[in-house]
Amino acid sequence: MPPVLTVSGLIKSYDGVRRAVDGVTFDVKVREIFGLLGPNGAGKSTTIHVVVGLLVPDGGEVRIGAPGGSSGPPTDPAVRSRVGVAPQALAIYEELTGEENVRFFAQLQGLRGSELRNRTAAALQFVELHDRRRDLARTYSGGMKRRLNLAAAIVHDPQFLFLDEPTVGVDPQSRNAIFENILALRERGLTVMYTTHYMEEAQRLCDRVAIMDQGRILALDTVDGLVRAHGGKSVVVAALDGREARIESDDPISELVRLKQSGPLRDFRLEQPNLERVFLNLTGRQLRD
Amino acid sequence: MGPIFALACKDLRLLVRDKVGFFFVFGFPLLFGLFFGVIFKGAGSSQGAITILVVDDDQSEASKALIGKLTSAAEVKPIVATYDAAVDQVRKGERVAYVRIPKGYGESARRPFWGTPPAFELGVDPARKAEAGMIQGVITQYAVRDVMKVFSDPDALRKQTATAIEEVSKAEDLTPVQKGIMTAFFGALDSFMSLTLTPGVAATDGGAASDGNKEGAEAGASIGIGGWEPVRITVNDVRADRRLSSKPNNPMDITFPQCLVWGLMGCSAAFGISLVVERTRGTLIRLRLAPIARWHILAGKAAACFLMLLAVSGVMLVFAMVAFGVRPENYGMLAVAILCSAICFVGIMMLLSVCGKTENSAGGIGWSVLLMMAMIGGGMMPLFFMPKWMQSVASISPIKWTVLSLEGAVFRGYTVTDMALPCGVLLGIGVVGFAVGARLFTWQEGSS
Ligand SMILES: Nc1ncnc2c1ncn2[C@@H]1O[C@H](COP(=O)(O)OP(=O)(O)OP(=O)(O)O)[C@@H](O)[C@H]1O
Ligand SMILES: [Mg+2]
Repeated sequence: MPPVLTVSGLIKSYDGVRRAVDGVTFDVKVREIFGLLGPNGAGKSTTIHVVVGLLVPDGGEVRIGAPGGSSGPPTDPAVRSRVGVAPQALAIYEELTGEENVRFFAQLQGLRGSELRNRTAAALQFVELHDRRRDLARTYSGGMKRRLNLAAAIVHDPQFLFLDEPTVGVDPQSRNAIFENILALRERGLTVMYTTHYMEEAQRLCDRVAIMDQGRILALDTVDGLVRAHGGKSVVVAALDGREARIESDDPISELVRLKQSGPLRDFRLEQPNLERVFLNLTGRQLRD
Repeated sequence: MGPIFALACKDLRLLVRDKVGFFFVFGFPLLFGLFFGVIFKGAGSSQGAITILVVDDDQSEASKALIGKLTSAAEVKPIVATYDAAVDQVRKGERVAYVRIPKGYGESARRPFWGTPPAFELGVDPARKAEAGMIQGVITQYAVRDVMKVFSDPDALRKQTATAIEEVSKAEDLTPVQKGIMTAFFGALDSFMSLTLTPGVAATDGGAASDGNKEGAEAGASIGIGGWEPVRITVNDVRADRRLSSKPNNPMDITFPQCLVWGLMGCSAAFGISLVVERTRGTLIRLRLAPIARWHILAGKAAACFLMLLAVSGVMLVFAMVAFGVRPENYGMLAVAILCSAICFVGIMMLLSVCGKTENSAGGIGWSVLLMMAMIGGGMMPLFFMPKWMQSVASISPIKWTVLSLEGAVFRGYTVTDMALPCGVLLGIGVVGFAVGARLFTWQEGSS
């Protein structure tokens, strides 16, 4: 599949000294859900902001295209109307109602008349805020504001969605609903770039994940590929008589059998390699310190 | 136009919902106006009298008595002046009118029924029709009251009648027919009075009754019977040139522009801060992400601010007219002054929006700047209360030019050429302020 976003050699520094983004290169394919996983301060938001044209990069290039169409820089108005962004810092008007917020951003995208009405209603339904649409955003809970922020990003039916930590503070039920909806959007042909520091989210949602730390991409692959390459072996954690054993193994079943035969096995737990482990192996640090 | 309209609507909606901002746009200026309005209203009763200049060409006892009566009248406050000085002051617009008591007034007052009475001259600006009519009424009333005194004194009247008959017979400017009619009339009057107005009858009437007679006589006289004209007033149109020196028609004429200036300041501060808030609350990001040009965003803000400035002006004007009877002299000029002021304050709004990085710093710095401008520009206290050097310093404040253009339309009688300077300055500030503010406006978060 052709890439719909190409990012090459991206460099961005806020103070001219320390690079928040330090030579990042990747591409995103059509209808892909692409994850950017990294701890606080890794440079995820900065990458997104440069990619969508909010920040001018110090070096490197970004090109966004539409399927089958030409590509251009993110500041190109033709590109802009194909892009939806839900910034990490909430970007909504607290003194407008949910509906007024969404409608206003839709108007800025050029929607009119019945299309404006229908898209506004659909976006509010999408984030399950239809019931509260007449209330001021100020009166929403943190998670509801986050959902409104998402509604404002999708109201104009973009081809490419950038979601910067869209689930922070959202309860598990609504989070699940958002995941289902993102997957549904992808079925309709949308491409999604998604940042998070929750490895479970990346694992569950993303086709490919870039692991980012200190402005650099350390590894980029499918979740399985990353785990295979950097996750290491499975670990059997066994509670033996008075002590705990951690044993790395490619074949945890036979390892358990061996332990059982050698003495009393009170309890055991199997640690499968996951993205957390991938990050630990790549950086020597936990994803969440 | 679509996105600008959407942006402007959003901003107007936000301002209406922002109670503090809304208060500074509408509430505070109205309170300011009410405060001064009440002060002026209290002082107003003694100022109700119109000051008129009186030129006494007659210098008779009767003319002096008339001036005395005018002095005690509630409607006018006479000041004796020479003719030249009086004309000059009315022409400069310093006084509303002058009244010239003609030579021979005292003489004619004693023979009210005959001969052409010498005409009073009323010099008044043709634009001041209401005042002219009022003054004419007052002069007629007091002059006629003087004349009518003879009716309450039958003996004096009978003496007058006798003199009249005598003078008629000697008069050379009367035709024989006129002489005949007049002699017959005065003869009839004389015999009528000898029958009815005998001293005895008059005595039983008493003071109150004779007073009543007097009122009745006056009413008849002021209507004028059969062309009988006890007082003649010729009106001299003295076109006041207000530029020479111009006085407000109403104390609120001064307060209205000041209230309005506070509304304009509140409005530009509210919108200036709202641009900072767009940045701190992150919504500027979304505006920048939309497929619209950057100038659309600033134009939307400017359009909303401009509309709000006009709305404030409209509300203040209606308030001043309804609550305090302010009557702008020239509505066309007022519209021009308000438009130019609104453009100026859009520029100021744009400058304020780059004053601070946070809502609080922008609000603090913005209001300090505005208060300084108001202080030196006559927004708090009319400039003419200030020392001369302050008045010249005031020229650096846009507030001065706003107030001046508004006053020009409300009571200074500015012509197009008079308006050109303040309006030009206002437009200049507006355009330069907007350009500089827009240039300095940082779009990116975190500078590199
Ligand atoms: N506006 C700014 N001005 C200066 N430095 C900034 C700014 N925004 C981010 N940085 C710095 O850039 C680096 C990357 O920040 P960024 O926000 O991109 O990280 P992130 O991966 O999105 O983190 P998080 O998970 O906390 O959102 C950090 O060191 C941060 O301090
Ligand atoms: Mg971030």
